[in-house]
Amino acid sequence: MIRIRVTSCALLALAISCAGNAEPPTEQSGAPEQSLATGLRRLSTAELEASATTLLGINTGLAAALPPDARQSDYSRNVAQSVDSLLLGQLFDASRSVTNALDLSLPQFPSCARTAVATDSTCAEAIVKLLARTAFRRAPTAHEVEQLLGLFALGAEGVDFKSGIALVVRGLLGSPKFLYAATLGEGAPGPSGTTRLSNEELGSELSLLISGQPPDEELLLAASRGELESGVERERHALRLLQSYQARYLYRRFVQEWLGLVGLEGLAKSSQVSAEFPALREAMVDQTNQFVDDVFSLQGGSVSALLAGGYDIVPAPLAGFYGIQPPAPGARVNLTGLGRVGILQQASFLATFAHESESAPVLRGKAILTRLLCLDFPKPTDLGIDIVFPPADPTATTRERYSRHATDGACRGCHAALDGVGFLFENFDAAGKLRTSESGRPIDTTGSVQLDGQTLALADSIELSSALAKSEQVQQCAARQVVRFAAGKTDALVERAFVDSVKSKSPERRGTFLGLFLEFVKSDWFAWRKPQ
Amino acid sequence: MIRRSSLPISRRAALTALGAGATLTALFPASRSVHAAPAPAKYFVGVYMPHGMAREFWVPKPGFDISYAGSSLAPFDDEATYGRSFRDQIVALEGLDLTAGLRSSTVGHDGSRVILTGSGTNGQNASIDQFLAIEQGLGKVTPLSSLVLGVGEARPALQWCISYAKGGTALPKIINPLATFNQAFGQFLVDPDPAAAARAAREQRLGKSLLDYWTNDLAELSARAPQAERDKLDQHTTALRDLEKRVIGQTVTCKVPSRPDSTQFPSVGSYQGGEPYFEAITNLQIDLMVQALACDVTRVSTLFLSDLSRTHFDPQLPEDVHTDVAHRYASPGRNGMGGSDAASQVRLARQNHYTYSKIARILQRLSEAGLLEQTVLVAMSDMRDPAKHSSRQVPTLLAGGWGGALRGGRHIDLGPDGTPSNRLLVSVQQAFGVESNSYGQSQDPSILSGTLTLT
Repeated sequence: MIRIRVTSCALLALAISCAGNAEPPTEQSGAPEQSLATGLRRLSTAELEASATTLLGINTGLAAALPPDARQSDYSRNVAQSVDSLLLGQLFDASRSVTNALDLSLPQFPSCARTAVATDSTCAEAIVKLLARTAFRRAPTAHEVEQLLGLFALGAEGVDFKSGIALVVRGLLGSPKFLYAATLGEGAPGPSGTTRLSNEELGSELSLLISGQPPDEELLLAASRGELESGVERERHALRLLQSYQARYLYRRFVQEWLGLVGLEGLAKSSQVSAEFPALREAMVDQTNQFVDDVFSLQGGSVSALLAGGYDIVPAPLAGFYGIQPPAPGARVNLTGLGRVGILQQASFLATFAHESESAPVLRGKAILTRLLCLDFPKPTDLGIDIVFPPADPTATTRERYSRHATDGACRGCHAALDGVGFLFENFDAAGKLRTSESGRPIDTTGSVQLDGQTLALADSIELSSALAKSEQVQQCAARQVVRFAAGKTDALVERAFVDSVKSKSPERRGTFLGLFLEFVKSDWFAWRKPQ
Repeated sequence: MIRRSSLPISRRAALTALGAGATLTALFPASRSVHAAPAPAKYFVGVYMPHGMAREFWVPKPGFDISYAGSSLAPFDDEATYGRSFRDQIVALEGLDLTAGLRSSTVGHDGSRVILTGSGTNGQNASIDQFLAIEQGLGKVTPLSSLVLGVGEARPALQWCISYAKGGTALPKIINPLATFNQAFGQFLVDPDPAAAARAAREQRLGKSLLDYWTNDLAELSARAPQAERDKLDQHTTALRDLEKRVIGQTVTCKVPSRPDSTQFPSVGSYQGGEPYFEAITNLQIDLMVQALACDVTRVSTLFLSDLSRTHFDPQLPEDVHTDVAHRYASPGRNGMGGSDAASQVRLARQNHYTYSKIARILQRLSEAGLLEQTVLVAMSDMRDPAKHSSRQVPTLLAGGWGGALRGGRHIDLGPDGTPSNRLLVSVQQAFGVESNSYGQSQDPSILSGTLTLT
């Protein structure tokens, strides 16, 4: 049994949290007042790879062969993705390489594929329908099957059956119907001009959003029967899809992109700060992934557990960095005594939001206030303020060097909030290593945060994490992040409406990411779109 | 001989139906005299320079002296290294603000987005390179519409891109010289083995069928897509066209360069161990870019240069150039505000000098290929004072002959009031014969129009 799958226990808690609500599960089928827009979203490279891997039954490594994704609202799953010349050219080359590894003896293919000859159109048709169903995330039309069989005939001609199927696969991997997830809706517009997603689109969106994969056969069947019009049915399938082993990759990516940790592999630190940093980066990524797996699989992606669960999972290479003995692989370790209670005290976060040679209270404060509280801050230049970095001073602490932020009236407006949070992490250096002094002077980790309408004076980042873990404001921001991820863009109106709708839900629902994802796919905001 | 494509009518018709018709119409619009009026500029090269500029060592001295001690522009007057002086082929342009960025919170590192688009983060227009290549058809007749290159960082993200597609999406960059070679020249390699030729012929046949299939699929999808997705679908159509040119196969009259030796750059990414090889990578990217222009593989290219951080190429610079050179720069600037640290200015000027040495290499290669006079080269950073992250008064280098639209050997000072950089982009498009008097997008349309006097 793979432990990091979302466990039945966690799913049971999420399911019960729904049934245990004061309100019974309802069929929400009306067009909401606020809706996301119709459109075409090019799949992210991670989704393309996952889909290609499902299609062929082998690990394709497709994403590494493609240009990196553009991000929008921090997420690679976004509506700004496009098919440019570089991507299409590299996809063309990669699809050729991928099909070289095509293995028709795999159990996902009909048995006829093992012995079929180039002229076996019956077997070809069976495979074409199978492949197109996965690639298009819906059943292909007769016309589409006919076109693909044309490719098969061309590829097989004078060669063999497998070459024909290989050309079909190449055709599918480059097809716009594979590359774009369509949310165009169908049928007559509702009272507010919105249209409901087609049954096929509901299945495709549900699977991509919940598991990062194309829909499986059960979901396709449910879609074809019109069952996904029901929010309850969508939720039921979502709970089922969460048990997929591959789903964990989606939630790892979600957390990394939400917190801005995707750049960690591309970070460097001054050798004077941490000579060991390059060798530890991979372990830092691994640590966060293992921790996210744990929190999502056992606690439904609890926001409070992510922030202040009071435990961590430390890969052996990081033990020395954290000042502990190497723990058993995957074992939970309590690092509270070492100033770490959750993801914000992991090296991945601390190193990402720091400069190469020094800590960065402004970056750390901004990351928390914008990503966890969904606040916006103007750039200094927007306010006509020139940024002046504090000069290096070997006799002063970083906090002392940033003291001008507190005395300069033009800076204080924003930096009282930014620095007040950032200073709480000053006991961690540029690489995220614990420190008690800087420039021969003791570290001061006191600070403050405005949270849920109150100003809290805090001693350090542990107190901050504990406060954030209980905060309604953080939970609301988490709900907004789920909408951004699902929508592939920022839509303030739908975010606000969704936040309002989950306020009455149980803590297991509104306080966990998986609960929020389930609430969203169940909702009308998932199922309806307004025309662009 | 260039074997021009003979497109199957069905595919061409389908591409037109997809919206390419609108693009084709825009190629030679009646109101814009791309070919009707003299338009001798033929090639566009845009270069991003990191980390702003030490003005103290950038402003030419009287008589356009760029060879004084410490001058960052000195590589352009270094015959011993670059074969000739390019002093008369450059203009040091001072006084531009990235105004569209200043009006839309797209400044500092984000200002790179404004350099060639003339618009901020909410802009939907293409950068000038893509505008020329796609919307004005400069890339239509060449195997590649454009070549978007970088060093060290491939992410198509704000702060890391100067090339944007219509619709506002950042374009990914090629950072591996081997990939650049494959993209630009891979299609022209001919394997003399008859079996390989047979395989290539089959691959071409299959490729054409795939293109037909995808074009039809895109047409079906486009028919249902909302108007708001038009830019996205047009870009896809352009991508299909570029792939079509590659699949159908064309030959070039020039000598295809040899494939780069990847052992020269075992790693190519910033922070991924690529830094020691950035010198070799940058030189290869430049050489391949100019060879692609010389072979008429493309007429439009951009290059996003990296800084010197962690390269240790210049032993007089610290390891962390970003923090210890750019952030520590202290200059009163031309407004007299701020501190002054002469040593910090020297350090930033050394970084600038390195970057300009790479641009001098571009000019050298363009000159050797006989393309310099017809080339429009624009090199700009996203800021002037990197410590202040100020996108005002950004020193800009213009180079090449611009087809007669640029008179070099001059320092043009537009004054301290801040001239919108959009005017530079207007001048660029006019050098290619596009008669429009505005470029970019802004809530304040007054910043978009006007030109610079460059002759």
